[in-house]
Amino acid sequence: MAGAACYRLKVFVPNLELIFQVLALSRLPYQLVKSSEEGLRLALSVVFIAGLSQTLSQSVVLFAHRVRPRRFALSLLVGAGLYVFGFLFLVTSIWFVARYAFGETEPLLVVVRAVGLAYAPYLFSFIVLTPYFGSFFSATLALWNLSATLLALSVIFGVTLFQALLCSALGWLLLQVVQRTVGRPVQALAQRARHLAAGRRLEFNKNLKDLVRQGREK
Amino acid sequence: MNDAFVFALVALGGFLLAGALSPFEALGWWAGWFGREADDVARSAAPNPVVSGARQFVVFLTGIHSVSGETFARREIELLEALRERLPDAEVLEVFPYSVNNRALTGQRFFAWFWRLALKLKLSRVAFAGFIINLRNAFQVAVSADKRYGPIYNQGMAETIHGALRGHGYWVGSGVPVTIIGYSGGGQVAVGAAVYLKEIIQAPVTVITLGGIVASDEGLLALEHLYHLVGRRDRVQRVGPVFFPGRWPVLPYSAWNQAKAKGIIRVVDMGPVDHTGKDGYLDSEATLPDGRSHFEATVETIGNIIEGEG
Repeated sequence: MAGAACYRLKVFVPNLELIFQVLALSRLPYQLVKSSEEGLRLALSVVFIAGLSQTLSQSVVLFAHRVRPRRFALSLLVGAGLYVFGFLFLVTSIWFVARYAFGETEPLLVVVRAVGLAYAPYLFSFIVLTPYFGSFFSATLALWNLSATLLALSVIFGVTLFQALLCSALGWLLLQVVQRTVGRPVQALAQRARHLAAGRRLEFNKNLKDLVRQGREK
Repeated sequence: MNDAFVFALVALGGFLLAGALSPFEALGWWAGWFGREADDVARSAAPNPVVSGARQFVVFLTGIHSVSGETFARREIELLEALRERLPDAEVLEVFPYSVNNRALTGQRFFAWFWRLALKLKLSRVAFAGFIINLRNAFQVAVSADKRYGPIYNQGMAETIHGALRGHGYWVGSGVPVTIIGYSGGGQVAVGAAVYLKEIIQAPVTVITLGGIVASDEGLLALEHLYHLVGRRDRVQRVGPVFFPGRWPVLPYSAWNQAKAKGIIRVVDMGPVDHTGKDGYLDSEATLPDGRSHFEATVETIGNIIEGEG
């Protein structure tokens, strides 16, 4: 028992150091994941926890719909799962652009490992909940993540930051096109999963004031 | 890493965590996770109060230094007494504006002991305890001003104010006007709640802010009037015009600027007066050039406004 805990700690501490380095915008973590077969689990864990944090930061809609605590927890898990899927779609489109537009040959899994680690700033997404300063924190985290992602792409593809930005932007653009065309059924499925987890139909586009008035009348 | 850096990092982490957790009281209350049961039991068990004959109801929302509905600040107690004397036809009551279910911090289920200790230390002049109370309540002001949480928080406050009014004999449908006085951070809560309160009681609602920190809240446009009492030496209320972009003059279509243009907002110059304490709005020793004490001038200004609105 103690041995297992010790082992977990031994694995956890270096991982934590790696994440600190990602947060400090160091190139080293990406050099490590490029040359090593390991790191996939860590990268996906970072993205999943970032997804939990991000879903929590957007949980007002769940409270506004008076979702019960168990459903709330389930909704966070489903939200984090969908976030991981969203991440995988984005990375795949970046990889696709890098491969077919820029002739890069790095395998998809290397890009997943590197870009996944670059999601570390989003572990702090929950601070977006801070009243009034939420938008500022949100923009700061997005900028931090973008910087880490560009660094990750520049290391694994061996390109300049500008080329990494181009690759990332085109990948993002490709994802937008896919989402708005053939991706619609997938998005509808994701929305359905959110409603199922919450146990009720969530009206994401409804004004909060209207939801409150509606709730008061019930 | 040296100790100072670690301390700064821990303090920053604590600050951010406190900020991130601050909306959950209002959100959890709205979702029915906690706080609702006590309200419902109290409402169903309360006998119908005797209808008050008051021609005006005045609700006082204290500043962020407070931990409960019954304010402990000597000067505020004196203000309420002076207003009761000045306005014999009005019912003057207090509501704690930093908790959606009007539950004093010292009456919270899990952290009552912490806030009691903080209050005790504050009264013993331990500055840090006062800072913690102020920070906690300031975050609730920000919750009220935030578009993501404001509708929920302000609806909760409106229900709380309505409950307090009923408890003092207010009858919905009577059309008796209500004036909310928001001191400092209570100003934002007053503005935020007023629009929902107006919908509930179907009567005119006027807001008076005393050194109020007020955002450009859309509810401003639904008010009869907002009288914004401002001292020239009050640096605290200047937080509003600086931190809330809707109050910048360069945004003419913001709620604040529209309400100002429509004459809903009336800024009242209180003279060379500070925010609180010595030389503050409620200081009965400091005097204005016309010989009145700051306290007398404040009571007279508020009294005149309420009489005028009535």
